[in-house]
Parts: sequence; C-alpha cells; structure tokens
Amino acid sequence: MPLSLTDPHWYPIASSDDLPFRHVYQGQLLGRELAVWRADDGNVNVWENRCLHRGVRLSIGINEGQELKCQYHGWRYANRSAGCTYIPAHPADAPARRIENRKYPVREAFGLVWSAANAELPFAPFPGAEAADWIALRPMPVNAAPEDVAAALARLAPDDQPAEMLSELVVRLAPVTWFVQPVDSTRAVIRGLHAGRPEAPLTVLRHYNEMLTRLRDRLERAAARKPQPAPLQPVFEQVSVDLATMPDIAVPRGNTIPVVVKRKWQSADAIMGFELAARDGHLPTFQPGAHIDVHLPNGMTRQYSITNGPGELLSYVIGVKQESTSTGGSQVLVERVREGDVLAISEPRNNFPLRRDATRTVLIAGGIGITPLLSMARFLDKSGLPYELHYFTRLGEQVAFRSELEVLHGRVEFHTGLPREASSARIAEILGEYSFAQHVYVCGPASMLETVRATAAARNWPDEAVHFEYFKNDKIIDNSTAFDVELARSAMTLHVPAGKTILEAMRQAGLSVPSSCEQGACGTCLCGVIEGEVDHQDVYLNESEKRANTAILTCVSRAKGDRLVLDI
Amino acid sequence: MITLYDFELSGNCYKLRLLMSILGVSYDIVPVDFFPGREHKSDWFLCLNPFGQLPVLTDGDLVLSDSGAILAYLAKKYDPTGQWFPDDPSVTAEILRWHAVADDITSTSSAARLALGYDYNFDVEATQKGAHRIFRIMDEHLWFGERDGRDWLCSPAHPTTADIACFPYVMLSEEGGISRQDYPALRRWTDRVRRIPGFVVMSGIFPAGKALETA
Ligand code: FES
Repeated sequence: MPLSLTDPHWYPIASSDDLPFRHVYQGQLLGRELAVWRADDGNVNVWENRCLHRGVRLSIGINEGQELKCQYHGWRYANRSAGCTYIPAHPADAPARRIENRKYPVREAFGLVWSAANAELPFAPFPGAEAADWIALRPMPVNAAPEDVAAALARLAPDDQPAEMLSELVVRLAPVTWFVQPVDSTRAVIRGLHAGRPEAPLTVLRHYNEMLTRLRDRLERAAARKPQPAPLQPVFEQVSVDLATMPDIAVPRGNTIPVVVKRKWQSADAIMGFELAARDGHLPTFQPGAHIDVHLPNGMTRQYSITNGPGELLSYVIGVKQESTSTGGSQVLVERVREGDVLAISEPRNNFPLRRDATRTVLIAGGIGITPLLSMARFLDKSGLPYELHYFTRLGEQVAFRSELEVLHGRVEFHTGLPREASSARIAEILGEYSFAQHVYVCGPASMLETVRATAAARNWPDEAVHFEYFKNDKIIDNSTAFDVELARSAMTLHVPAGKTILEAMRQAGLSVPSSCEQGACGTCLCGVIEGEVDHQDVYLNESEKRANTAILTCVSRAKGDRLVLDI
Repeated sequence: MITLYDFELSGNCYKLRLLMSILGVSYDIVPVDFFPGREHKSDWFLCLNPFGQLPVLTDGDLVLSDSGAILAYLAKKYDPTGQWFPDDPSVTAEILRWHAVADDITSTSSAARLALGYDYNFDVEATQKGAHRIFRIMDEHLWFGERDGRDWLCSPAHPTTADIACFPYVMLSEEGGISRQDYPALRRWTDRVRRIPGFVVMSGIFPAGKALETA
C-alpha cells in the first residue's frame, strides 16, 4: 500500500523521553513536519511545524512552558488550542481570535507519543499493549521506504518463530514490538517497545541499538540501489493576509460555550472565585486581559475577566464581587450558582490588549479590578518579562487571589487603606516620568481610572501608553438626534426619536434583542452595520473597530446622518 | 589585553566569543572581512597566521591560532574553576578527541554551509553526507549519555571546551542543508549548551527557552 497523506492511522512519532520540559522536538509523519512540545502542565502538543506568519519552523521556537514563541517574529501560540495569543507590531497587538496553528491528534502511552494525520480514527492501543510494562528502545531513523523497513524487521525473526505482523507497519518479535513511523515515502523511524523491565536496561538498550544500526546500514544500502519513490507533498496553509495584518474586528456572534462550575470559593471578603471548566477538551484561546460574558440563570449576562495564565485552557477562573446593593447579575452568581451547575459563556473577547514589547510595564489594580491584571502579570511572568503590579485595596477590604499573586516573580506591591490623596501621590510616584515604550494598564473603580488618567497626562504619558479596562461607560450619552433605522433582515424600518435608543425602538417594535449593561460597555447588544455612518458613544469597540463602521452598540450609539441600515 | 581577529558569521570565531563571554573575559575585536573580501588571505593577515585561517587571538605578545587550541588556552588561563579544560589526563584526552570531532564537523557541516551560502567550491553532497555520519555518532553518544546521567560530550558533570568546540557548526548545519530532525538527543544537547550562563548568540544561533525552574 503506498503511503497516503490522509492515512488516519495512529503512529508513534516520538518517545516520551524526547520531550523534556521547555524543549521543542522536531518530528515528521507522512511528509508533514511536526513541532512537538510538552507544556509545563504535562500536555503534549503536536502541531504543524510552521509559524503561520512566515512559515518559519516552530521547532526552532521557544517553549515557554505555556506558550510556544516563534523565534523570528515573536508570534505566540497557546498550549492545547494552538491559538495565536500575540502578534508583535500588530495594530492592536492582539490577534483575531481565529488564528490557530494546525494541530494533530496526540496521545501519550506506553512510553511513546502517538499521532495521526487526521482525527478520523480514535486512538486504540496495539494488541497486548495493556498486558505489559514497556520500555522504549532508542529510535532508529532509516532512509528507506517504511514498508521495506517493516519487511526487514519481520525477516529478523528466527525460522522457527516467525514474526507476528500486528499490522502493516507493526511487527512483534517478542519481547519487542516494533513500530515503523512512516516519516515520508523514503524515510522511517524504527521505534521498539521492550516488554517488561529488564535487570540491566542499559545493556538491553545497547544490544538493540547495535542490532538496529546494522539493520539500518543494510536497508540504506539496498534503498540506494532502488528507484526512489516521490516524497509526499503536504500543503502548508499560511494564515490569510487580512487575519495576520488587520486589527481585531472580531465580532461576537452569540456563540456560547457550556461550562461546568468546577469550584466556587471565597477568595476575599466580598469576592468569590469561580472556576468554569470545559465539559470536554479545552476552552478557546484567550489573550491576557480578555473577558467572557457569563449568561446567568435569570437571563442576564455579565462580563468577567479571565484571571488565567498563558495556555491554561482547561478552565477559566473569574472573580465576582458581591455587592450588597447589586440586584442583578453578580448576586445571582454568588447566591444561586453552585458547584456542578452548567453555565453558558461567550468566547473570550479582549478590549484590553497587553503589549509584550514594552521596556516597562506597570499594572495598577483597584479592588476587583485585579482580575484582568492578574492574567496579564501571569503572561508577563511566564515570558520572563519585567513588570510591576500595584494592587490598591480599601481599608477592611481583602486582597483577592492572594496566593496566586504571591507566586509571581515580578514586583508585586499591595497598597492597603490609603486615603484618596495618599493613593494619588503613590500613583504619581509609581508612574514617574514617561519614557519611550512604557505602558501602564489600569483596572478598578472609576475614581481610580480618573486619577491614573490625570496623573499620567500630567507626567507626559501619551494616551497610547495608558490602557484602561471599562466595565462601565461613564461618558455622557448624547441622545438628542432623531433618525431612521432600516433592519435589513427583518425587513422593517423604524424611527428612532430623540431621547430613545435604537435598542428601545427595536424592542417596542416587538424584536427581541439581547442586552446587558445598556450603557455601551459590554457588547451584548452589538449588531452589524450595512449602511450609514455610526455615531459611536460606547466604550466597548476600540478605535479601529469604530473607524471600520461595521458594528454598532444599539444601546447607546446612534446615526450621524438620518438613516442606518443594520444587519438584523 | 586580548584581541580577537574576528568574522561575525564564522562559527570558529564564535566559539571563542562564546567561551570568553562565559568566562567573563573582556577583549577587543578586529573585524576581518572573510567574505566576500577574503581578507584572511591578505598579506597582513598571513603574517599573523601563515595558515590563512580565522580566528586569530592575541594576548599581549602571544599570537595564537586554531579555535580548538585557543579554547584550551583561554580555559587554562582564564577559568579559575578549572572546569572548562580539566587537568585530569583522561578528561583531557576526551576533550581533545572531541576537539578533533569539531574539526571534522567544520570540514563537513561548515563546508556545506560555505558552499551553499558563501560561493565556496566544495562537493555539497559529500560534505552533507559526512556531517550526517558525525551527527549520527554524536546523537547515539548523547542519547546513551542521557541514560547514564551525562548531559555533556565528556564525562564530567559540567560542560567543557569540547561542547563549545562542537556546538556552532551543529547549530548552523541547516544553513548547509543538513537537517537535525533525525538527531533528537543532539538537539536536546544544543538546548543545554544554549542555557549555559553567559551564553551569547550569533546570527543564526538563537537562545533557548529558559529551563524550567524546579523549586
Ligand atoms: S447592552 Fe452592553 S453594550 Fe449595549
């Protein structure tokens, strides 16, 4: 049977020992080059060995433990999902959510790492696999056709004890089961599993290594005399130019993901931690600073920042503030949602992109505002980049996620119970004079954002260097205009008078449109724009998204002219 | 004062920059235009080294050539720990064995690189084949070394000049069209070399990721 690019069978592609932490192994299966790496959580990733950016090999990249970084241009990909988490020099410094490296199925078992060209067949252990303890022999790469290699292995059997062909490329010659990894049409790797734990393993390993060396030399001499089959020709798809160069105009389309509340705990006095786990597999890649919409049992949605570090995709951890005055979302989460409950969440979205090319990164958090900054600190920490995190809490308020903060290696300072003037003075000290490539990120109560913004401006920090996360829109909304909206898909035209929002007008006309914050901060009411110019009044879309004029938040924004055509 | 007659893209010169960086030795550089200028065959250079080869290193009045010999000299003179070129006779023999392998790597892997990238007239196929022959041996040596708890080319529990001597043209082999895919143990060893404190990069040789900190 000739080798095929789409052969769905599982083959060993590496030994477990080939994947020490922080290494990237270079492998190949059926012509496809693979970058194989073990993340610090033990997970093994098998990816196409090309950075989507310029096609540079990822096997010369840096394994940072949770992310793999391309050596040449610094693109980063997350453990498990292979989602791109960072594009340097990207206008928004954050990739569109859908950039993912091609990954292959993977299983680690019996001392070997297995993969397949596609996910059509489930992994099945080879016959007798469970019956023994196995040790992996030293793999032997051979420049010969895989089927010739398997045939030669079978011929090693003594006459009275013929080899057992477990399948086309698997030969059992007890006590060793031999697997032929089809690297390409003219190349293979022989991988042997020896049953049982021999007393002098090194002697056994050397014995088989010598045997295979002789076999390889014979096979290669024979192969040199035969005509060479053509190599397999896999295609490597580069990421489309607009994905790689355009800013993030990823518009959430209402896809939700079910998650299980795996853990719920009191993280600080008025702050609950929630761990939301994927039901199977992993959750989507997120960028540091990203948030999710959580759909609550009472029909509301609320936004919460993901606190996780890079590549931690089995569950998201969020922090929820218990507000005595709050009537809505957070209270429901805190009081009604229990461990084991299933919730729907949105895909992560990032309004708060973190640059990773700064010479100085300052993170300033107030109260529950620590959540996105904790995630940022973890990303910077794992990449070995310098940063300082300042966490302001009021008197009597407790530090949330303290144990998570204490294991960070950067400068982490807690400022507790400072009166207003004292914290302003402290913030001024922290910021210092601006110099090139410094960035500050702030998340906290509105008063704190204001202080940081004013202080930074007074110290010559340019706007682009001061980054805010809004959970509230405190702009004054101008709703004095009147205009028409044409709803393209619903085939109706509505008049929006002064004093009323598009959202309200649509609801009055009987349409059901989701919303949450109703102040242009959360993105729930987002809708596509087909025609007309939008008067954006929200804080949700970023500047480039606003300029693109392709989306509107119907709870606050309006038309600049007298007509808008919406995709609804 | 030490002066290195240096060509930035030469792996043999890089060996010396690497060891001097690791040992914290300061030195001056005199750039020599090896390519395309062929300055290593110029009269002034031949007076310094009649063999017409880079690198040359001067230390006061002393003029030294041959990268392996200079590595030994630097280690013996400037390494107070005595680790990089230990006095133990059997280890000395091991190191010199690998210095010789390093020369073989130069005449194969580096020659292929010169042929492909620098217009040199070498038999590309023969040099590539030769490099694969050496890499197979090194991979086997390093693989069994790992099983024995040995991380480096020679038996001491720390790197020696043997590792420095063999490292650059292993790392630059792709520029000569020699893939290291078949040599996983060799690739892991290059990670270890790149994690030696004081490691410096050269064009084509990147730093490795930080080792996992095990508390
Ligand atoms: S409902 Fe939150 S942005 Fe409109």
